[in-house]
This record gives sequence, C-alpha cells and structure tokens, in this order.
Amino acid sequence: MIELKGVTKVFPSGIDALHDINLTIGKEEFVFLVGSSGAGKTTLMKLLYREEKPTAGKVVVDRVNVAELAPDQVPYLRRNIGVVFQDFKLLPKRTIYENVAFALRVTGAPRSTIRRKAMQALELVGMLRRANSFPDELSGGEKQRACIARAIVNNPPILLADEPTGNLDPTTSWDILQLLDKINKRNTTVVVATHNKSIVDEMKRRVVELEEGRLVRDQQLGMYSV
Amino acid sequence: MFSSLEFFTIEAFRSLRRGTLMSSVAVVTIAVSLSIFGAFLLLIMNLSNIVGTVSSRLDLVAYTSQNLSLEDAGAIQIKIAKLPGVEHVEFTSKAEAWKKFKEDFGGKVDLGGALHDNPLPHTFAVRVRTPELLPVAAKAISDLGVIDEVRYSGKLIDRMKSLVSAVRVGGISLIALLSFATLLIVVNTIRLTVIARETDIYIMKLVGATNTFVKWPFIIEGLILGLIGGGASFLILKFSYESVAARLGAALPFLPVFNDQFALTVIYASLLIGGMGLGLIGGYISVSRALKNEG
Ligand SMILES: Nc1ncnc2c1ncn2[C@@H]1O[C@H](COP(=O)(O)OP(=O)(O)OP(=O)(O)O)[C@@H](O)[C@H]1O
Ligand SMILES: [Mg+2]
Repeated sequence: MIELKGVTKVFPSGIDALHDINLTIGKEEFVFLVGSSGAGKTTLMKLLYREEKPTAGKVVVDRVNVAELAPDQVPYLRRNIGVVFQDFKLLPKRTIYENVAFALRVTGAPRSTIRRKAMQALELVGMLRRANSFPDELSGGEKQRACIARAIVNNPPILLADEPTGNLDPTTSWDILQLLDKINKRNTTVVVATHNKSIVDEMKRRVVELEEGRLVRDQQLGMYSV
Repeated sequence: MFSSLEFFTIEAFRSLRRGTLMSSVAVVTIAVSLSIFGAFLLLIMNLSNIVGTVSSRLDLVAYTSQNLSLEDAGAIQIKIAKLPGVEHVEFTSKAEAWKKFKEDFGGKVDLGGALHDNPLPHTFAVRVRTPELLPVAAKAISDLGVIDEVRYSGKLIDRMKSLVSAVRVGGISLIALLSFATLLIVVNTIRLTVIARETDIYIMKLVGATNTFVKWPFIIEGLILGLIGGGASFLILKFSYESVAARLGAALPFLPVFNDQFALTVIYASLLIGGMGLGLIGGYISVSRALKNEG
C-alpha cells in the first residue's frame, strides 16, 4: 500500500530531514512512527499526501509514485488518504457536521450521499450529538474525534495520524487509539506518529523508529523504545 | 454538480457578507465606470442618429438676388430643373413669401411702418435624388449667376461627423482605462477575501479539493459584485436617459433623440454583461494568483 525507496528530503534551508529511507507498509497494517522531536515523522507523512516532494527516491502510494504526480492529480491522491492533525485543522466558523461534510463536498458528491456518509462518520467517532457545535465549543478530545470523522468520511484506504494524542489526557488518548484501531479493522492502513510511550507499549503493533532522519528500527509487536 | 453550484453560491455570499465594505467599493466602482461607458454609448448613438437624419435630407433652398424679375425667375426655374440630379423644383415668388410671412408673423410681431416694402427674394425649394448630389447641385445652382445664396445642411454634417469620430476615439480610450481600473479594484477586493480565507483554502486542498473547486466561490463572488454593479448602472442610465431625452425633446423638438428600443435594450444588456464580465475576470485573476503563489 505504501512503499518508500531511498527517500531523502533536504529542505531548502539545508536541513536533512529524511535520509535514504526504505520502508514498506502493507494493506491493513497498523504502524507506529516514533522518534524524538525533529526526527522527521511529520515530514515523512507529508511526503505521502504530497504536501512535500522528496529530494530523491520514490514514494509509492497505492502503486502510484506520488513524487512524480502531476499537480492536478494531487487532490485525487488526498481523497484516498485521510489525515488527522495534532492541531486538528478544523474550520472554526463551521459546525462539526459542516467540517466533516466539507471533505465530501470537494469530491462533488450528491447532497443525499454527503448527509448520509457524514452522519455515519460522526456516529462512528461518537460525535453525532455534537454535530451542530462549533470547534470552539468542543474539548480537545472531541475536536480530535471530529478531525478523525473528517479524515475517514471518504472511506480512504489509508489513514495518517500525526500525534493525534498530543493535546489529550491519558484516558482520552486511549479512547482515540481504540477508535483508530477500530478504523484499522475496517480495512484501512493506519500510520500513527506519536510520542505516547504507554500507548505504543500497550498496543504492541509494528513500530518504526526514526532518528535524525534515518530509519533506525522497524519491529513487529514493538515497544516505544528498546 | 447542482449541489456543488449551490454550495459555491452559498460560500460566495458568505464571503461577501464578511467583506461588506470592500464589496461596496467594488460595486460602486463597477457601477460608475459602466455608467460612464453607457453614457458614452448613448452620446455616440445620438450624434450618429443626428448625422444620419440630417444627411439623409435631400433638400436645398436657393435665394435669388433681390431685383430679379418674375420672368427671369421662371427661366432660372427651368434651368434648375434641367440640372443633373435635380428631381423637383418649387418656386415661391417674393410676393407669395411676403404674404406668408405677414400671415405667420403679422399678428405676433408689430412690424410698424418699417417694412412697407417687401425685403424678401424669390426662392427655389429644390429636391435632389440622393444626399451626395446636394453639394453638386448647390454649386451648379450658385453658378447660374442670379442666385444670392444656396442653403443646405452639408457643412453641419461634416462638422458633426468629425465630432462623432472624436467622441468615439476619446470614449474608447476612456472606457478602456476605466475598465482596467475597475478590474484592478475587483481583483483587489476579491484578493482580500482570498487572503482572509487562506486557511480555509489550505484545509480544502488538504482534504482533496481541486483548484477548480477552490476557485468557483471566488469567481461567483466576482460575478455577484459585477451583477449588482451592472444592475445599478443599468437603472441609473435608464432613468437618467429617459428624463434627459424627455427634456431635450421638449426643449428642442426638431432634434432627433435616439429612441430605438431594441438598440437601447442592447446597450442596457451590455451593462449587465459588462458588469458580470468584469466581476468574473476579476474573481478569476485574484484567486488564480493566490493559488499559484501557494503552489
Ligand atoms: N518546511 C520546512 N522547512 C525547513 N525545515 C523543515 C520544514 N519542515 C520541517 N523541517 C525540519 O525538518 C526536520 C524534521 O522535522 P519534522 O517536523 O518532520 O520532525 P518530527 O519528527 O515531526 O518532530 P516532532 O515530533 O517535533 O513533530 C526538523 O529539523 C525540522 O526543523
Ligand atoms: Mg511532527
């Protein structure tokens, strides 16, 4: 589903964010991406949904080399990758329902489909009750659930979550991870970048560790650190 | 597609509500420049209309010298009738003219004792076959010798024609300049709303919106601005032209006021279309530039 071959990313500032990364993630896998701050986790994810382009190497998503994708094809790539952000990136002047429906609107889906699917996604994350609230009126955990609902509303085959529990208390964090696990069991590849040691240790999933832009560990049923 | 169109329109109105002040500036600018455009168009139409009406006239009047006898006048009439291009000659003797003059003005003006003697000459009213023959016939008639003066509207036509082309050239340059300035203002208005919604656009693109999808609300926003501005200029121009035309018609009844309903409708429609065009292009330019910068 996801394959990185010799991927290097050097920012114009000269910072070597990723260096010769080789990584394959199969369909229906659940992968934790760990590493200290600045290790390159966010950069790796941005390469997948083409917010950044690699300096060298191939980034293959669903058999397509994303690095060479024509700009007008990028939107279609992004509809197949749900992204959950640490800072949520919800539209502040729109309700939760509108935020979720937005991701369907951009695909030009008919109104009845938009309504049905948005409601389903909100139901799945347990946010149906708060559908008409604005982001400001929600707790961090609720915002993260709304963000997840938006990420999965198109039924993307891949879900990326960049520090989804960064702002949350341990119980809420655990709930969010349960939710991501549930989504993974519905045939979705899930990649989670995190600093949350207890969750990684508890879940016992594949762990990929980055250190200063290099892949230093790739372990099935791994722990946060060795 | 229909649900998207509805969505774009709702988005456009949302954005207009947020930037009321700048939107008003853009609407007023569009309305003013289109009104000036329309006013020029109407002016040119009227001048051309006057030229057209006047130059389609076929008549000239020739005045004989004072002391020409009736018999000589009769001979002249035959000569005029035989000139090439002349279709019809009508003779009015000085006595008839005097009688008619006294009938027309005798009651109104006190002629006193001043005008016992008839001061009027004999006149020939001549009609030629085509307007181009007027100057030719006028020259030939003058050359007959006993004619004091020949009058027709030729000199006026020439002067009017050069006036029309001057107005046309000046109008076109002014309109081009105004359209450009208006476009700049529309572009800037919509650019402000694009900047205000940069985060929205970024998020829209993250969840897979195409550039086209992102552009539409802004293009529709421009279209709405243009439509309101164009509509305002239409109303302004229609009512002011109607009142000016009515007053002009009353004050100068001989002046042919341009009043072709079909052509007027076309002019008014062109204001609406021009407004929409300005808005559409303005919206398109500003949002395209914003999207290009962001990559
Ligand atoms: N747009 C950018 N321009 C220049 N340098 C960048 C840019 N984005 C990231 N970097 C640099 O690349 C390196 C990797 O950053 P990245 O955000 O991928 O780290 P991270 O592993 O996500 O860290 P954190 O855990 O703190 O989120 C850092 O040194 C960062 O400063
Ligand atoms: Mg990061």
